[in-house]
Amino acid sequence: MGELFQETIIVSILAATVRIMTPLLFAAIGELVTQRAGIWNMGVEGTMLMGAFVAYIVVTAADTLAGAILAAMLAGAVMGLVVAFMTVTLRLDHFVTGLGLNLLAGGLTLFWFRSYIAGRPQPTFEGFGNVAIPGLSSIPYLGEILFTQRGLTYLAILAVPLVWYFLYRTKYGLEIRCLGENPKALDVKGVNVARRQYGAVIFGSVMTGLGGGFLMLGFSDRFLSEVTAGRGWLAIVAIIAGNWMPKGVLAAVLVFAFLEALATHVQVIGVEVPHQVFLALPYLASILLMMGLRVRAGQPANLGVPYRRA
Amino acid sequence: MTDLLRVENLTKRFAQVVANDHVTFTVAAGEIHCLFGENGAGKSTLSACIYGYHQPDGGRILYRGKEVRLTSPSDAIRLGIGMVHQHFVLVEEFTVLENIIVGTQESGVRLRDQEARKKIRDLCNAYEIDLNLDAYVWELAVGQQQWVEILKALYLGAELLILDEPTAVLTPQESDRLFRIIRQMCARHLSVILISHKLNEILQSDRVTVLRKGQVVGTMKTAETTPQALTTMMVGREVDLTIHKPERPPGQPVLEVKNVSAVGEWGEPVLEDVSFTVAEHEILGLAGVAGNGQKQLFEALMGLRPLADGEVSLKGERIARLTPREALDRGVGYIPDDRFRDGLVGDFSVAENLVLGWQYSPDYRKGPFLDGKRMRQLANEKIEQFQIATPSAESAAGTLSGGNAQRIILAREFLHANCLILANQPTRGLDVGVIEYVYETLLQKRDEGFAIVLASEELEDLFNLADRIAVFFKGRVMAILDPKATTVEQVGLLMAGHGDAREAART
Amino acid sequence: MIKVEPRLESSLAWTIGAFALAILAGFLVSGLLVAASGADVLKAFTALFQGAFGSLKAITASLVKATPLILTGLATVVAFRAQIWNIGQEGQLYAGAMAAYLGSLVLAGMPSAIQIPGIVLFGLAGGVVLGGLAAVLKTRFRVSEIISTVMLNYLVVYLLSYLLAGGPWTEIGETVSYHQSPPIPEAAHLPLLISGSKLHIGFLFAIAAAILCYLLLEKTPLGFEIRARGYNPTALRARGSNVPRTIFLVLAISGAIAALGGVSELFGVGHRLRGDYLFGLGYTGIIIGMIGGLRPGGTVLAGLFFGGLESGALYMKILSGVPSALVPAMEGIVLLFVLIAGVIARFRFVRVTADG
Repeated sequence: MGELFQETIIVSILAATVRIMTPLLFAAIGELVTQRAGIWNMGVEGTMLMGAFVAYIVVTAADTLAGAILAAMLAGAVMGLVVAFMTVTLRLDHFVTGLGLNLLAGGLTLFWFRSYIAGRPQPTFEGFGNVAIPGLSSIPYLGEILFTQRGLTYLAILAVPLVWYFLYRTKYGLEIRCLGENPKALDVKGVNVARRQYGAVIFGSVMTGLGGGFLMLGFSDRFLSEVTAGRGWLAIVAIIAGNWMPKGVLAAVLVFAFLEALATHVQVIGVEVPHQVFLALPYLASILLMMGLRVRAGQPANLGVPYRRA
Repeated sequence: MTDLLRVENLTKRFAQVVANDHVTFTVAAGEIHCLFGENGAGKSTLSACIYGYHQPDGGRILYRGKEVRLTSPSDAIRLGIGMVHQHFVLVEEFTVLENIIVGTQESGVRLRDQEARKKIRDLCNAYEIDLNLDAYVWELAVGQQQWVEILKALYLGAELLILDEPTAVLTPQESDRLFRIIRQMCARHLSVILISHKLNEILQSDRVTVLRKGQVVGTMKTAETTPQALTTMMVGREVDLTIHKPERPPGQPVLEVKNVSAVGEWGEPVLEDVSFTVAEHEILGLAGVAGNGQKQLFEALMGLRPLADGEVSLKGERIARLTPREALDRGVGYIPDDRFRDGLVGDFSVAENLVLGWQYSPDYRKGPFLDGKRMRQLANEKIEQFQIATPSAESAAGTLSGGNAQRIILAREFLHANCLILANQPTRGLDVGVIEYVYETLLQKRDEGFAIVLASEELEDLFNLADRIAVFFKGRVMAILDPKATTVEQVGLLMAGHGDAREAART
Repeated sequence: MIKVEPRLESSLAWTIGAFALAILAGFLVSGLLVAASGADVLKAFTALFQGAFGSLKAITASLVKATPLILTGLATVVAFRAQIWNIGQEGQLYAGAMAAYLGSLVLAGMPSAIQIPGIVLFGLAGGVVLGGLAAVLKTRFRVSEIISTVMLNYLVVYLLSYLLAGGPWTEIGETVSYHQSPPIPEAAHLPLLISGSKLHIGFLFAIAAAILCYLLLEKTPLGFEIRARGYNPTALRARGSNVPRTIFLVLAISGAIAALGGVSELFGVGHRLRGDYLFGLGYTGIIIGMIGGLRPGGTVLAGLFFGGLESGALYMKILSGVPSALVPAMEGIVLLFVLIAGVIARFRFVRVTADG
């Protein structure tokens, strides 16, 4: 294998890593805010699926990429509203709610999808192209890896410091972190706990919907019901593995994305291993990551506990 | 004196229970007004209504002569009402500063922590409160945490401060200091509602309103009444506060604890080099401010917390690997401080809770199945013997009152234990009547030859019940004392970590 | 004024009423879905129910469809009652089918009376291994069972994909591979209950499993621990139970029941190992178990009902053009309402006067 060829492959894998990271990062960084507010939203997978599906419907029916992305975010918001209603207002178990929502999303998208394509070939679309950042994109290697990406990828990367700033430098961030640790401490100060938790859940779900929309429009040309393939769950693992810190989440997401990027390059690399092994890597990695975790100091003390006044 | 707060005919119901029934009382500016009553008399509900945390079903609240509607704590805060909860409402992972400012900034989005810091410093200086604002709350001693709570209220501009059982977690000396500073505050601009069921706290107030079963029994000047009279008003009958404990010489040692150490969740030491022995016919009292290792000691003795070092022997036999199963099988009975967390399954019936921990015992089995008939029979026996007020043996334990839940635990532990009872705060949150009952039964077990380890926040009770008192501070035993040769003040100093009191106690 | 307050004791009638309302609400919303897709709602639902329960043949077909759903539903019940969030029924069902297939290769040529029980045991072992793995990950390595079971689902599916697409179990045609195993010899097929129908003894497995689950949960010490853990895990530990052992047993039993669903589908219906017809049975089982109120009896009812609808869906599609995917959507919708009903059932409405 020539040296030039090797270099090309490495750059290509890294560029793919950044691209593949995007939907995971949207979901994980959004749900990080939700979890810091004490709500363990297990419906990430379903929310992502909804986002992807709605984006597909809008882009194929109305032929607008911007509209499709907005619709995906809206779908996320609706899912978030349901999660918030069930966990915050009805105080249902967070796990049960999330599981229920995933199953609901699976059923609904399947039905709508079948209804949508009934009696005709499945419509396809043209997704996002790359936006090269002038100047920066011509830096050798780095330009291709970091600065020749889809527009939303830049936004996802930008979201990491923004969310960090929000959580640690704004009054709302302090309140959100307080909710995750001890919501009563906020309640006794006369601050509306439910309203902030709704906000945090819906923000996370909008970001997850955005991630789902990008998954659809950034990689593919048609909808498949298994399009999310567990990425919502990987986002949750990334939050845990990242010890509930924005930069930790980014690091964990990068690991998953790199493994997936590797799988897409198997044939090029020419390794004599069944390709299923590579496809399975992110899932195996997430179990191993969880096994290796000894510290969970960052886990919000009240995560997943419905809050009620007593 | 003008009335700062006037509560008129306030009524509050929960489900079928009337927590406050036409309650009327007033708080004058600058006074310390005590709401005195047993657990469940409605004090906490009343204060929650005044703080806007609950909405009353009837009656009205006047503040500075004007009727006010408090639909949320924010309404109360705006008027200048502040509250310090008995169980602190703090974020352990936040600094002192963050705890004080969270939820208080009205305008802007960016945190303005520097302005806040200055304002809090001024408050601290004004009242000689010594606190590191950048320390994490989990680093602070319980007494210091209380100052964080008070600062939270003052920072929000409280003029009327509700203090809920403020000295439950303090040493006698710390409570003195607390009330000294509260007095200073009252001299300037503060009024205080003091919620309490403890006589030594009440005596710090100007006036006292006694509540019983949700109703006001009367309001009087504290100086013009006596502890005995107040207690009679609170309970509604004459109460004999003295406990009759027959002299019994201790028998063979039952529990021997040698150089036991244990660590907490983050590897920090929670028990260090703890040694003591408890014999038959003996009650060892554990004194100490909450959070100084008493709970961890019980956990270690029950095998719920691994020993880092040291050994535990029962009836002369060293237990190599202590597990909860091992402890129960060897005849140890455990009355945990948080009964609905560690002692009972709230959704289980009384009958099921009575065999919880013994579900595999052949006594309650028929072949591979649980013997339902035997369980019901046992439950009916115990309901009668321990006077458990429950609709039936099938009722869920979680629907019963704290006192009846505790009776289930007593019934179960006394049935299965045969040598040692570990009782952590067994009277917490109970009525006087039930407290008397719990103490009677413990003394009866002592008479039968059990060794008993009893932790209590009520120092007086320990002095009455215990044959010896071990004082805990930061996971260490400061001293083991004979209550008959010791004063409450000496124990208080030891609880605060002043080791020289040990010398004082010995002489 | 009407006030809402928690009930002290649950009322069975009120609970059942709330569930009935939830199912009704689920149907109403599903009807809206059908209407939105432009089809005739009444016609679609009539066809759906006719296809499900309209004739003896339809009923036996419904029972066949219900069998794996009841089993994965029961797997959900056993785990969720202990607050162990096993969502690995999907993987455990696959593992059961794969292990049983392996068993059929090992036992090939033996008489049915030996082969079939052996195959079932192989399948159960597959589920125990996968469920037990999640238990060990949880108790030894503190890996949440939610994460591990989801990830194991994907890993098992990829393993099957490898085995059937190029791996040792691949059926090779003249030039291409079909992503499926060769057919299973008839001696290893599960016997039929009614000859001429498709109803096989797997259905009896499901009913027997439901009865055993009921006895386990309500009558045995282990069931006592399972329920205690579901309500208050802290107390269970403080009361001397070996909690890691309980967790292992719960996940092993849960895995085994789900695996039985896989065995039953493979040897009773599919008769060759293939991914498609096994897909989703595990996830649907979670819905069935939850709609069944996490009770064995309720799960059997929910399984029969939705199994029936899944069986009738094809008829509906032919008669009214509504996609058969309506049924999974309905399941999700009904589940949502059932969850809400579960909360409502815990409250009561009382009339209160202003004062006094």
